[in-house]
Amino acid sequence: MKNSKILLLILIVMFVFLIGPFIVIIISSFSSQTVMRFPPEGFSLRWYDKVLNIEMFRTTFWMSLKTGLAATFTALVLGVPVAYTNVKYRYPGKNALELFFSSPAIVPGLVVGFALLRFFIYVSGIPILLGLYLGHTAILFPYTVRVVSASLRNFDAGIEEAAVSLGSSPLHAFFAVVLPNIQSGLIAAFILAFITSFNNVPVSLFLTGPGVATLPIQMLVYMEYYFDPTISALSSIIIVITVIIVQSAEKVLGISKYM
Amino acid sequence: MNQLYLKRTLVLLLGPGFVFLIIFFFSPLVFVFLESFKGPAGGITFSRYLEVLTNKQFQHVFVRTLKMALIITPIAVVLGYPSAYLMTKLAPGKKSILMSLVILPLMTSPVARTYAWIVILGKYGIINKTLTSVGILKEPARLMYTEGAIVVGLLQLFLPLMVLTLVSAMENVSEEIEEAALSLGSGRIGSFFRVIVPLSFDGLIMGVTLVFTGCITAYVTPAILGGAKVLTLSTLMRQEALVLMNWEAATVIAVIMIITTLILYNGLRFFKPGNLA
Repeated sequence: MKNSKILLLILIVMFVFLIGPFIVIIISSFSSQTVMRFPPEGFSLRWYDKVLNIEMFRTTFWMSLKTGLAATFTALVLGVPVAYTNVKYRYPGKNALELFFSSPAIVPGLVVGFALLRFFIYVSGIPILLGLYLGHTAILFPYTVRVVSASLRNFDAGIEEAAVSLGSSPLHAFFAVVLPNIQSGLIAAFILAFITSFNNVPVSLFLTGPGVATLPIQMLVYMEYYFDPTISALSSIIIVITVIIVQSAEKVLGISKYM
Repeated sequence: MNQLYLKRTLVLLLGPGFVFLIIFFFSPLVFVFLESFKGPAGGITFSRYLEVLTNKQFQHVFVRTLKMALIITPIAVVLGYPSAYLMTKLAPGKKSILMSLVILPLMTSPVARTYAWIVILGKYGIINKTLTSVGILKEPARLMYTEGAIVVGLLQLFLPLMVLTLVSAMENVSEEIEEAALSLGSGRIGSFFRVIVPLSFDGLIMGVTLVFTGCITAYVTPAILGGAKVLTLSTLMRQEALVLMNWEAATVIAVIMIITTLILYNGLRFFKPGNLA
């Protein structure tokens, strides 16, 4: 039993290392000092007040929200049929195509954003906001395919065949039978893809400019100029929201098995 | 007829995604790739590559980036393997709580997560505060903007990825096989190395691949914890493009990053038990 004590110790050390920093940042956000110190001196909510009153954080929050929703929706619309094909059909060249569809997850995000900037914005002159949306959609694509595929593999294809043999058209069977049955997979895909987009920095880095910035990019810019605990407060808000989403998604959907 | 039907279905289902990726993902990459070889007066040139590859700063940054990945990956294995093993042994309820904690660093905003390390490693951060008040240090030490800071930050990000991969690999190892090894006189540690590790080897390789390539391409962690003082490939690329406005160098570094990732991705996958023989 001595061995399992060592194992338990490693496990505890690992969790302190993984989770400790989140607790530290939340504590530091209640500081009343203007310089980041730990442990903080005094208690105040002034940094939360400041976060809510900084115009740039509000506008970039909406930008991140809209970009995330639009890109996630598009990636799902494009990804669900691909996942369905992956699970249901066998055809020549399938492996190559699966690799093709997963490639946005392999190429570094920084390069994806950089290439989109060089190609579209300089060569074709498309607006930078459209580039941001397209870049996010491309990197979310493999996520939606993977999560929805995993969910479709657990779906009993016999139900769909029964519907078709009872006279339902394949399209109708898909919407009336398949989609409702993979609902939790779709929700998991939506959550994972949206959070990925909302947090993304590498792709957005090159696809932001005057008037177009996402929240994480704006936070990085702010950090270059100010050292007060404003970012602590904003980070704490984001961390708490993420914890709530992750905990409930794990409880209801078992989201970790889709990652 | 059936064959034709299948073909039509495939085109309808895969077509939109295929076209989207060709236009908005592959074309830009191919464009950048070709541009990196285009001579000033047309034709093909390798001069940009020569210029970047012989640049002392680039060489230094490239080696540093690989070095940090080589440090982080084994630590992730050593911490991740025992933790993942123990987690597969826990009751489902406890395991689910730990799993949701493990994925937290992966799901939280990278800026928020990395900012926490400034609070810990900064000049007036926890570590310096503690060490100076105890008297071990007279002056706060510089912990931020060091390779060590980046290593710590990246480890927090990628350790969960290793654990997740290993947990799902070890879940497929049946309890009976391990018990058989134990009942045949193999100790806990012996059975771990002789039974669990070989049977979850694919997961280990997958985890190593994800962590290693992740370390090479990560951006936010080295940007915040390394700053302009300790550059990695990705922060160097950003600096060339957005600070120095040297788009040609940035393009070359982008291509080098893709090639490095692809080589690692395919190279590490070669190490499957079957291939090792």
